[in-house]
Amino acid sequence: MSEDIAFWLSYLTNGKHLTWYASFQFTIFAAVAGGILAVVFGLIGATLKNSRYLPLRLIGTFYSSIVRGVPDVLFFLFFPLAFEQAVEWIWASQVCTPEMIAAQSAAWPPCKAANWILTTPEYLILASVSLGLVYGAFATNVIHGAMRSVPHGQLEAARAYGMSTGQVLWRVQIRQMWVYALPGLSNVWMLIIKATSLLSLLQIADIVLWADRLGAPNFLPAVGLVHDDWRWRYYLVLFVFYILVTLISEKGFNALMRRAGRGMLNEGHH
Amino acid sequence: MAQTAGAIVEKLPVVAIRDLHKSFGALEVLKGISFTAREGEVISLIGSSGSGKSTLLRCINMLEVPDKGVVAIDGEEIKLRGEAPRRHIGDENQIRRIRSELGMVFQSFNLWAHLTILENVMEAPLIVQKRARPEVEAEARAMLTKVGIGEKADSYPSQLSGGQQQRAAIARALCINPRVMLFDEPTSALDPELEVEVLRVIKILADEGRTMVLVTHDMEFARSVSDRVIFLHQGLIEEEGTPEEVFGATKSARLKQFLNAANHE
Repeated sequence: MSEDIAFWLSYLTNGKHLTWYASFQFTIFAAVAGGILAVVFGLIGATLKNSRYLPLRLIGTFYSSIVRGVPDVLFFLFFPLAFEQAVEWIWASQVCTPEMIAAQSAAWPPCKAANWILTTPEYLILASVSLGLVYGAFATNVIHGAMRSVPHGQLEAARAYGMSTGQVLWRVQIRQMWVYALPGLSNVWMLIIKATSLLSLLQIADIVLWADRLGAPNFLPAVGLVHDDWRWRYYLVLFVFYILVTLISEKGFNALMRRAGRGMLNEGHH
Repeated sequence: MAQTAGAIVEKLPVVAIRDLHKSFGALEVLKGISFTAREGEVISLIGSSGSGKSTLLRCINMLEVPDKGVVAIDGEEIKLRGEAPRRHIGDENQIRRIRSELGMVFQSFNLWAHLTILENVMEAPLIVQKRARPEVEAEARAMLTKVGIGEKADSYPSQLSGGQQQRAAIARALCINPRVMLFDEPTSALDPELEVEVLRVIKILADEGRTMVLVTHDMEFARSVSDRVIFLHQGLIEEEGTPEEVFGATKSARLKQFLNAANHE
């Protein structure tokens, strides 16, 4: 019995498992950063959609209706690659001499000096921005609707007291819209959390990739990882993780809702 | 409040309106209106619904931009640009500065729901007038006490009755130290028993010698509070004068008809 405990203790604390545990930080970082960016892009998109100027309105509408339709997996593959190559292209136009380009045998980048090597931190940031952009389009729709739910008279009062357009937007409309937006945003947040399981597409050794490796039969026998196909056990751990995140998120959103609803939700009168 | 007979100095026009026109689509709501409100004067705008009285009031602070005509506050003309129906504010900084001195009270209160009563009253002085917080807070509390809801400072608007909300809205208008107070049917959304408490506050302000322009459907109140009453009919001033003249010695047949109907409400 105690041998069993000793075995599992050493099995679950070997280096590869510790790396797996550490990789949870990537998932959590991508979710939080992606979530914050989605709200930021959502606020920008909704403001554009509400703009008095047609071109801005079109940009906002284009963003929210087109990007929502793009599959997140595709965008995940497209955006970081496109961004990387765009940076390299600009960089190459600055640093590459004709001789360097002639010496370059590979098709890309144009010269070796313009090669931008991405590692996990950069990929993680690009992944967060991708999440932010894709789910920001959903947030745009949610926030746009919420902003229109703010009673018109209160915006008018703000103008009547001399607030600028920006002050009306920031101090009244955005402060009040949360109570209408949060239910929708909590859905967007759940979608973002789910989408973090795609991190491994970007060479990030995330929780899914490690679960896959560690569960595979006889992955690294040299370090004691000898067993049958245990992937389902590892996947089960991920299920539990995602369920816990869901439960915590729900509690968090309830707290946010109480904060945003102060004075605005019926909470007993007179 | 009637001006004292001893006032020799001609008082300055705080609000001057000249030849105001406004249409909504094909409907011409204001057809050329001129009037002035002098320092300390209380003017009531009366008339049936659709006579343009609310639109006229909303033109004073440019919540509605008139198609034609001039509005001047303290002798300063509000700059407008373009031609109707695209006429618009000409100088954002000017209108913000002028608006920050016009205390508007709305029919539906329009308190900011996410702020407490105290925060509502402090918002414009802090954010627009950029005054110091301690000074503003002291004044805001004093104003809330003045309108009789000092103990509600930390409540939210949704926790107050309509009459209390409207009094809070009046405190909000007072706290900007307005040159003019604009009241847009301040009691129309209230039950009769709550109307009284709001009217009492407005009466106190009128007696203090504040300059006020008031849109109202309450003839009894217009009579007791005003220095001058303006009766609008179909976008034009049909009759104007002191309450005694307008209510006691009515000249216009339309006003007579209107007052009869109002009495029988």
